[in-house]
Amino acid sequence: MKHSDLNQGILRAYLDCQLDPEHVSAVEEHVNNCAACQREVRVLGEYAACVREGLDRLPQLPEAANVAIAWAAFQRKREDAMASEQSKWTLWKKLSLAGGGLAVAGLVLALTVAPVRAWAESLLAIFRVEHFTVLEINPDTLKSNGPQNNQMLNQTVGRMLSDEVTVTQKPQKPQLVADAAAASKLAGFPVQLLSGATPAALVFEGGAGVQMKLDQDRLQSILDEAGRNDLHIPSSINGATIGVRVPAGIMAFYGNCGDAPSRLLGQASDSDHQHHVVVGIGGGSNKSHQEADATCVALMELPSPTVSAPAEIDPAQIAQVVLQFLGMSANDAASFTQTVDWTSTLVLPVVRGGSSYEQVHVNGNEGALLRPAGPRQSDRFSLMWVENGIVHALNGTGDDTTAINLASQLE
Amino acid sequence: MSMAASWVEVEFEAIFREHYQRMVRVTRRVLRCDSEAEEVCTEVFLRLYRSGPGVAAGGLVGGWLYRTATRASIDALRANQRHSLEEELEGASSGPNEDSADGPLTRLLRGERIAEVRTVLTRLRVEKAQILLLRYSGLSYKEIAEAMQISANSVGTMLARAEAEFSTLYERRHQFSRKTSQLETAKERR
Repeated sequence: MKHSDLNQGILRAYLDCQLDPEHVSAVEEHVNNCAACQREVRVLGEYAACVREGLDRLPQLPEAANVAIAWAAFQRKREDAMASEQSKWTLWKKLSLAGGGLAVAGLVLALTVAPVRAWAESLLAIFRVEHFTVLEINPDTLKSNGPQNNQMLNQTVGRMLSDEVTVTQKPQKPQLVADAAAASKLAGFPVQLLSGATPAALVFEGGAGVQMKLDQDRLQSILDEAGRNDLHIPSSINGATIGVRVPAGIMAFYGNCGDAPSRLLGQASDSDHQHHVVVGIGGGSNKSHQEADATCVALMELPSPTVSAPAEIDPAQIAQVVLQFLGMSANDAASFTQTVDWTSTLVLPVVRGGSSYEQVHVNGNEGALLRPAGPRQSDRFSLMWVENGIVHALNGTGDDTTAINLASQLE
Repeated sequence: MSMAASWVEVEFEAIFREHYQRMVRVTRRVLRCDSEAEEVCTEVFLRLYRSGPGVAAGGLVGGWLYRTATRASIDALRANQRHSLEEELEGASSGPNEDSADGPLTRLLRGERIAEVRTVLTRLRVEKAQILLLRYSGLSYKEIAEAMQISANSVGTMLARAEAEFSTLYERRHQFSRKTSQLETAKERR
C-alpha cells in the first residue's frame, strides 16, 4: 500500500481493529516501514487514551434497568403523550396555512421539496405580513439536494419542530359558523364575504401561538444533512426564543370544493394528516381526496401572523442562508435581501416553470397572483393581498380579471 | 408513499426490548442520574413511535435510536450545565453534605473531574460529542456509521478529529484547574 493511499481515518480504524480484514495486512506492512505513519498512529493513540481516560470517569449503569418495567412505564407515558399530541400538529398545519395561504385548499404551489417549504415557511413567513414578494427558484438546484435526502430531511425537520416547539396558545378545533356577523364576532375583525353569494361552508379557526427555541447546531445539522455544509447558520440566533402568534381567522368555501371544508374541520381521516404533517408540513403528498371542481372558490382571511424575536436576530442574515439553500448564489442572495424589508414582507417561493405569478392591484393594494403551470391546472389562481392588516387569500378558477373582480366583491 | 401506517405493537415492543437497556447505558454516561437517562430514552422511543414504522423500514432503526438518544442526552447535558451554573451562583455558600462513604475531598475531586469531562463534551460540536459517546460505549464503526448516517469510511476520520479536539480541550481545562488549586493552596499557606 502506498503512503498516499493512507489517511488519518484509515490509521484510526487500524488502531481500533476496525478495518476490513482484507486491508489490515497491507496497512500493517506499510506502517511497519513508515516512520511518519508510526508517528501518526502514536499521536492518534495518545488522543484516544486521553478520551478513554476522560470518558471512563463518567458513571455507567452497573445493573441494567429492568426492561419489562420500562416497557410498562413507556406504554403509560405514550398514552398521555398521544392525547396531548394532536394539538401541536394541528397548530403547525395551521401555521403553514396561515403563512401566506401557501397550502390553502385546492391549490398546492409547485414546491416539490417539503423541507424547503417547511424552512421557507417557518423562517420567512413569521414576520408581520404587509407585502408579498415572489421569488423564483431554479428547479435544477433544488433537485440536486432534493429527493435522495428528502425523507431523512423531512424527519429531521419534523423532529426538530416536535422538540423545540412549545405551544403557548392551544388552537381549538375549527368550527362552522352561520354568517359574517357571527364570524366577525368570534374572530374580532370585520369579516368580508363575497356579496350576493352564500358560502357552502364558513369555518372559524381560533388563534394559536407557539414558541420555538433556535439551536444553531441543530439547524446547521439540517443544512449538513442536505449536503450544504458550505452554508453557516449565524451564531447570533443560538438559544434565541422566537414567539409566533397566529390570530383567529376564517375560511369561506363557495361552490363545490370537494372534501376541503370537512378536512379543515377535521372530519376526514384524522390519523392520516397527523403523519402527513409530521413528514411534510402543509400540502405535498396528496392522497385520494375528493377533488374540488371549477365552481370552487376558497377565501381565507386572517390578521397578519406576528413574530417576536430578540433584537440581535437579523432576519436578512437568516434569509440569505435560506435563499442560498434554495439555490441562489451568495451574491444574488445578498443583493436580493437588500431589496426586501424582511420584517414586513412574506416571500413566496415559486419554482421556475412550476408556477407563474404576477404583481397585481387588488382594491388599491398590492397583491400577488399565482398560478400553477401545466395545461390541466393553469386556469386555477391563488390571489393574495393585505388589506387593512388582514391577509387575504382567494383561490378559484378563471382568468386574471375574474380573480380581481371576485376580490372586489368582498364586503 | 403511505404515511398512514402505524406500528404493530408486537414489532414496536421487540424494538424497545432490544435497544432500551443499551440506550440507557449510553445516555447515562453524560446524564446526572438514572431517572434522567431513562426519561431521555423513553422520550426517544415516543418520537420513534410518532414517526411511524418508516424509520425502521430500511433496517436502520438501531442507528436512528442511538443517534437520537445521544443527541437528546447531549442537549440535556447542555441544559443541565446552564442549570448547575445558576445553582452554583445562587447556592455558593452551601457546603457539600458529609454522608457518603468517601471523604468529602475525594468526592469533591471526583465530582469535579466528571464535571470537567462533561463540560468538554458540551464544548464540542454535537456530532463530535455523539461519535465519542457512541464509540466509547462500545459501538462498532459499522454501527456508528449507521447511527450517524455517514459512510463507514469516514468514521475513522471523524472519530480522530473528535478525539484530537476533546484531548486538547480536556488537557487545557485540566491544567487550568490544577493551576487554580495550586494557587488556592499557596494562598492558604500564606
